[in-house]
Amino acid sequence: MDFGFSDEQREVRDLARRILGEQVSPRSLQAYDEYAAPRFDEDLWRALLDAGLPGVAVAAQWGGMDFGFLELALFIEEVGRGIAPVPAIQHCVGGMLPLQRFGSAAQRARWLPAAVSGELLLTAALTETGNDWSRAPRCVTARRDGDTLCLRGRKSAVPFAAQADLVLLPAALEGGDDVAVVLLDPRGAGVTLLPCESTSFEPQAHLQLDNVRVPPEQVLVGRGGAAAMAWLAERMCAALCAHQLGAADAAMRMAASYTGERQQFGVPISTFQAVGHRMANCYIDVECLRLATYQACSLLHDEQAAALETRIAKVWAGDTGHRVSYATQHVHGGTGIDRDYPLWRYCLWLRHNEMTLGGSGFHLAAIGEGLAGGQGLFA
Amino acid sequence: MKLQFTAAQLALRDELRAYFRELMTPALAAECERDMGEGGGPLWREALARMGRDGWIGLGWPEALGGRGLSPLEQFIFVEEVMRAGYPFPFLTTESVGPILAEHGNDWIQREIVPKILRGELLIAIGYSEPGAGTDLASLKTAAVREGDGWVINGQKMWTSLAHFCDYTWLAARTDPEAPKKHKGISMFLVPNNDPGWSCTPVHTLGGVRTNATFYDNIRVSDDHRVGELHGGWKLITSQLNRERLSLINFGPSAELFNATVRWARDSALPGGGRVIDQGWVQLNLARCRALIECMKLIVYKQSWAMTEGTLEMADASAAKVYGSEAFIELYRLLGEVVGQAGLLRDGDGCDSARRLERLYRAASIITFGGGTNEIQRDIISAAGLWMPRASR
Ligand SMILES: Cc1cc2nc3c(=O)[nH]c(=O)nc-3n(C[C@H](O)[C@H](O)[C@H](O)COP(=O)(O)OP(=O)(O)OC[C@H]3O[C@@H](n4cnc5c(N)ncnc54)[C@H](O)[C@@H]3O)c2cc1C
Repeated sequence: MDFGFSDEQREVRDLARRILGEQVSPRSLQAYDEYAAPRFDEDLWRALLDAGLPGVAVAAQWGGMDFGFLELALFIEEVGRGIAPVPAIQHCVGGMLPLQRFGSAAQRARWLPAAVSGELLLTAALTETGNDWSRAPRCVTARRDGDTLCLRGRKSAVPFAAQADLVLLPAALEGGDDVAVVLLDPRGAGVTLLPCESTSFEPQAHLQLDNVRVPPEQVLVGRGGAAAMAWLAERMCAALCAHQLGAADAAMRMAASYTGERQQFGVPISTFQAVGHRMANCYIDVECLRLATYQACSLLHDEQAAALETRIAKVWAGDTGHRVSYATQHVHGGTGIDRDYPLWRYCLWLRHNEMTLGGSGFHLAAIGEGLAGGQGLFA
Repeated sequence: MKLQFTAAQLALRDELRAYFRELMTPALAAECERDMGEGGGPLWREALARMGRDGWIGLGWPEALGGRGLSPLEQFIFVEEVMRAGYPFPFLTTESVGPILAEHGNDWIQREIVPKILRGELLIAIGYSEPGAGTDLASLKTAAVREGDGWVINGQKMWTSLAHFCDYTWLAARTDPEAPKKHKGISMFLVPNNDPGWSCTPVHTLGGVRTNATFYDNIRVSDDHRVGELHGGWKLITSQLNRERLSLINFGPSAELFNATVRWARDSALPGGGRVIDQGWVQLNLARCRALIECMKLIVYKQSWAMTEGTLEMADASAAKVYGSEAFIELYRLLGEVVGQAGLLRDGDGCDSARRLERLYRAASIITFGGGTNEIQRDIISAAGLWMPRASR
């Protein structure tokens, strides 16, 4: 048992922390508030690409760093710590990982090196209105026409849809309960992007598909796609947890230092036990999120079964995110919600991560179902 | 990073699990139940002496002191297994006061006390708290006064658990009433409970656990019975409390209770059809418990790992204590709802989880204020973990 980081893991984290620390600030983030500009800092993304970080979990033969999921999660944790305006989760976890895992030799050779270098931007269309669980798509269907798939339907709130070159997208195959996964050109015929505004200012669009023809070379998984989506959903959940961990930790530390400075009744407000204890609760919550997240990520890193552990981590991401958001706002008083002070953006992202790909209730229900079905006891 | 046990650690766990399965005979288990999980009975003593012979006492002590020199992680595995087996292991004597005596004790203690502890033949109660000294322990008033070569001890202790069947009391007494800071004038003594000046009266608690008020009336002990530096007792107290914490929060029994409750809910039919576990709210309660216990496991594993590495942060030790003690209470509520009114019956009406829960919920509050109250732990977390300035006390 080892809760420590390897030298390589520390290097990845420190490299990410340095670049993000230098290039992300409240001032740089301000440029994207209220959709004043698409929330995508291309210079920062270029710096991260040049450092090799987005390709950290991609094999060397495709130009990646050849590390694993844990290193990728540490990078994403740092992105979360800065709530950096880059498509790290979508491109790296939503796009490159499944491409590397499920793509044909030709697909990998064609797209992975370009994705690692950043010429090609990937994203994933995982959610549908009323259906947060991407392994069972209902609102987009695929009909076979020879070896081409014809897609119709709608995916909602696809992150970076307008910026991406390829969108990973699961669809329900007509006439059965099988799922296909395709890599869709969002600018292709029959695809309409309907921009939408999200709470976090992330660039998103609904994807309307009207008889979109997907040629076989763009089909990632033609049959049995539900298993691939379950594989991906676990990694997306774990990545969201890592992002949440970074963001929650940053918000907590911001509040801790603020309360040490702010004085009322002639003393720092941190000296009031009620304030200190609310922050201590945040510390415990963040520690639980950290441990649950690292556990899920280290299992996924080793390609071990981690469905339960990932759900548990996502429950903690939801609960911790919620509690840290309101505790940190509260101990700041009015400053916490003043848009001239940096906390408020964290609160948006804590909510974003909490509700994306299923909130705590959703995952608890699934854990409970598993227990009823004979799974999930302690060893 | 790898949050699973190594093969060697798993082997130790399996060895212990098998050992305790054999050790815990039904008669011993019944005796332990009767004694409210405190031990002290004849079969319990016999089993302890056997563990001494088999080398399972003094696990964490350095080998030079007669122990096994196991790492905190291995000790933790031991604690988990012994708790899971339901044997009330006398941790306070063997793993918390014992190693301090082995390290700081004089010749008499090395000769007379330490070997008996390792053989499972000598038990020690802890005498810190007093009627007027709880969380503010350093304000204790029990006094030891120098007389000739020895000491005369007078005072009263409160909540001296296990004292009614222990051989000695590990007693904190004031030796320097003039000390400028109150925690600088305290020394530690090993007081024999068979001294005519020693007496105790029982204190019964909500959970059924017995503890004691103990009285020290002109007890004379030689200087041999004093441990560590004169007026330097505070250091020994805090180091003992830190060791104690390692056995305070254990996830094994909770995991065991959880598993048993889930199995019961899977196997129990509802009168109107279906099983208990088919109900949505039951699944939700159980899922909440699953997530709570998972983090309890991770938090205590990490604590033991960090102790083994020598990197345990004060804030993390406090976080483990607060989280664990409060999670227990939450678990007993959520699982209690699942077993329903059977959990109000002393015998659980045929449901073993219900029977256990009926007792557990009554004893659950002890470690939120005991073992260093959670308020103080939270003070430590915000100060040491988040660098927040705190009020001076
Ligand atoms: C079953 C049982 C077994 C025990 N066994 C032993 C034993 O073997 N040996 C032994 O020496 N002691 C033992 N204790 C005593 C135990 O350690 C004390 O109960 C504990 O230290 C708390 O002290 P108190 O009960 O006097 O409560 P108090 O100190 O009076 O605390 C009452 C409340 O005030 C709060 N409080 C106190 N100070 C502060 C502060 N600074 N900030 C915020 N809140 C504060 C506490 O958190 C608590 O909620 C035992 C107790 C019990 C119930």
